[in-house]
Amino acid sequence: MRPSFFHHLHPPTIPAAQARWRHTLGAGGTTVFLMLVLGVTGILEMFYYVPNPEEAALSVQVITYHVPYGGFIRNLHYWSAQLLLIVSAVHLLRVIFTAAYGHPRRFNYLLGLGLFVLAIMLDFTGYILRWDQGICWPLTTGTNLIKTIPFIGDFLFRLAVGGGDACKTALTRFYTWHLFGLTIPVVVLGIWHAFRVRRDGGIAVPPPHARTDNVRISRNELVRREVLTMFIASILLVLLSSFFPAPIAPAMIGKPSPDAETRAPWFFLWVQQMLKWGDPFIFGVLIPFGILVILAFIPYIFPKPADSDIGTWFPKSNRLAQVAATVIAVFIIILTLLNR
Amino acid sequence: MRRLLTLSSFLLLLSIILVWWNNSRQPKPIELIPTLTGQPEYCLTCHADLPKISASHPVETFGCVTCHGGERLALNADLAHSSMRGGANPSDLSVVEASCGGTNCHSGSEADDRHHIQRVTTSIQSTYAGAIASIRFTFGAQVDLTPRYGINAVTDDETQTGITSLLAFDPLSEANPSIQKFGEECLTCHINAMPREGEDYSRQTGCSACHSVGEHTLTTAIPYTQCNTCHNRGNYDLRTMTFTKRDDHPILRIDDYYQPIGVFTKCEYTLDCIDCHTRSESMGDGDIHKDQASIEYVQCKTCHGTLDELPLTKTLTDPNDIAFTLAFLNPVIDLKLGDTILVTEKGEPLWNIRILPNGTYEMYGKATRQYFTFRPVMGTACEQNPDEQESHYCHECHAVEH
Repeated sequence: MRPSFFHHLHPPTIPAAQARWRHTLGAGGTTVFLMLVLGVTGILEMFYYVPNPEEAALSVQVITYHVPYGGFIRNLHYWSAQLLLIVSAVHLLRVIFTAAYGHPRRFNYLLGLGLFVLAIMLDFTGYILRWDQGICWPLTTGTNLIKTIPFIGDFLFRLAVGGGDACKTALTRFYTWHLFGLTIPVVVLGIWHAFRVRRDGGIAVPPPHARTDNVRISRNELVRREVLTMFIASILLVLLSSFFPAPIAPAMIGKPSPDAETRAPWFFLWVQQMLKWGDPFIFGVLIPFGILVILAFIPYIFPKPADSDIGTWFPKSNRLAQVAATVIAVFIIILTLLNR
Repeated sequence: MRRLLTLSSFLLLLSIILVWWNNSRQPKPIELIPTLTGQPEYCLTCHADLPKISASHPVETFGCVTCHGGERLALNADLAHSSMRGGANPSDLSVVEASCGGTNCHSGSEADDRHHIQRVTTSIQSTYAGAIASIRFTFGAQVDLTPRYGINAVTDDETQTGITSLLAFDPLSEANPSIQKFGEECLTCHINAMPREGEDYSRQTGCSACHSVGEHTLTTAIPYTQCNTCHNRGNYDLRTMTFTKRDDHPILRIDDYYQPIGVFTKCEYTLDCIDCHTRSESMGDGDIHKDQASIEYVQCKTCHGTLDELPLTKTLTDPNDIAFTLAFLNPVIDLKLGDTILVTEKGEPLWNIRILPNGTYEMYGKATRQYFTFRPVMGTACEQNPDEQESHYCHECHAVEH
C-alpha cells in the first residue's frame, strides 16, 4: 500500500514492545485527537458565540438549545477539554513511571509540561467564557490570586484580566486568551513536541545493546492502532456528550446572586481546598508553582535513570521520580476529594 | 485488529445514531416574541396549556419573562426556572417590585393611581401592625397601642395618619416569652406569609394571595372564598398563643361566611366581601395605619343611607373616571357616561351600584354577577337613630337567624 499523508507522519517502523497500548496507554495520541476535536468544535461554537458581557451567556444558551446539534457540539467541546486534562496527566505520569524523560528527551519533557499547563489555562478560560452565574466567584477568587504575587502581581492581573472587576471586564481578555493567546502556543508547542518525539528517536526505548526484544511493527499497524484508539475515544465522547450535558447556569445580570456557585472548576478544587488553610499567596500560588517546578526539574536534578531502564515500567533507577510524582498525584487527588 | 476496527466503527456509528435519535425526540421549540420586550422566549414550549393569566396581561404583549423572570432561551426546565422571581409566584412581596413594578405598571405615581405596590406594602394586610402592637401592649412591651413594628420595615414619607415608619418585627429580640410565641405561631395571616397547611388555607403570597383564584389567573373579581383562606378559618388563643382551627365544615354559604359566633344581615352573606369593602380598605390607601379598624370605614349606611340622608352618588361625566377602569377590569356592569353610581364618603366609587330612574338602586355582584335591587332607608319604616349607624345597631333588627 502506498503510504498516505497520515502514514508519513509516522516512522516506518517502531519497536513492538513500546508500541503496545499497555505501554503508552495511548495517552499521547489521544491528546492529539482530543485537541483536534476541540479545535473543530470550538470553531463551530464561534459561529454563534457572542463575546460581550450582556450576550455571552445568552449565546451559550442559543448554542445549547437552539442551534441544530449545538448542545451536542458544546458537550463534545466540554468533554474533550475535561478528558484532555485527564489524558495529559496520565501521559505525564506514564512518561515519569517509564523513565521516558531521560536524555535526549529532557527538553521535550519540558515542552510537554508546558503544553499541560497551557491545557489547564485553556480549560479555565473556556469555563469562564460561559459568563453565567456559575463562573463569577471562581473567576474572582482565581484572578485575585494573581494579585497576591509580590511586585509583578498587579501587572500580571492587568495582563490576564484587563484590570478592574474581573466579573465585569475579563470576558474580552479571556476570549482572546482562549482563542489566540493560549491556542496558538498550544499549536506551536504541540507541533514542536511531536517533532521532537520523532527527532529524539520516537517512543522511548532502551538503547540497542540493552534491548531484549527487537521486534518492530510497521506504521500501517501503528496507524490502525491509533484509529482504533480514536474510535474508542470518540464513542466515549459521544456517550458522555449525550448523557451528561456540560454545565450551564442562569445568565449574569449585574453581580451574581450570593447563592451562585462558589466552587472552582474540578481541576482547581485542590488549590481552592488549600486556600482554606491560610495565606492565598503561599497556598494558592507558591505551592502549585512549587509542584510545577519539582515536575520540571525531574529530568534535570533527580537521579538519572539507567539507559537500560528507559521505556520500561517502574524501573528501580528512577524510584525517586516515581515517588515524587505519586506523592504529588495523591496529594492533588486527596485535596480534590476533600473540597466537597 | 481489523475485526476490532470493524467492531469499533460499528459501535461509533451506533452512538452517532443515538445522538440523532436523542436530538429528534426533543420537543419542537415554541417561540414567542412579546411586543413589550421584543426578545424571543421559549417558555410556551412546555407551558402552552397554561390558562391565560388575565385580560390585562395578554401573553402576546407581556410574554412570561417580564413578570416571572427565568431564562427565556433555555429549553431545560431546571435552567429555565432557576432564575425565576419568587418561584412560581412573582407577586411575592420580596420580588414584587421587580415583577409587577414600574412607573407604567404597579409602582407608578399616586396621581396616576398606579401606586399599588406601595399601597399593599404599607397596608395593614402586609404590616400586621395592629396585631403586633396589640400583643406587645398586652404583654407590657409597649405603653400604648401605637404601632412600632410591622412584618417588614416600611416608611411612608407622605403620611396622613401620623405614622411615618414601622420597624421590622423580630420576635426573637422580644423579652416576653408570650410575644416570642406569638411570633412563632401567629404570623401566618399577613399576605406575604406562607399559609397554614390544608386546603381551607390554600392561597399564594403577595398580590396573588387575593388576586389569584385558581391556577395562573389574576382577577379583580375576588370571591369571598378567597378571603376566607385567611378570614373565618379559626381563632388565635391568646392564652396559649396557638391557632385553633375552625372545626365545623359548613356546607351552606350562610354558615361559611362568618364564624358561628358572628351576627350578620342577609346582604353580608349573600354578597361577596369586595361588594362592600372598597379597594383602599382591603388593599391599603398608601398610608401606614395602626390597625384594621382605622382603615375600614364602609358601613350599612354607605349604600343604604339613613332616615335623613340618601347615600352619596356621583354622575359619571369623565370618560377617564376610575369607575370605568374598574368596570373594564371586571366587566359585570355596562357603565356609561351619564350613569349615576354610589360613592363612599371618601369618594371611592361603588361602581357596581347604579341609581335607577325610580330612585331605587341596582347592583351587580362583582364576583358572582348576581343582580340585586334595593331601596334607600329614607322613607321606610326604619326607626334607627341617624347618629347610631354602626353595623351592630342594624343587626339588632336585621340579623339573620337560621
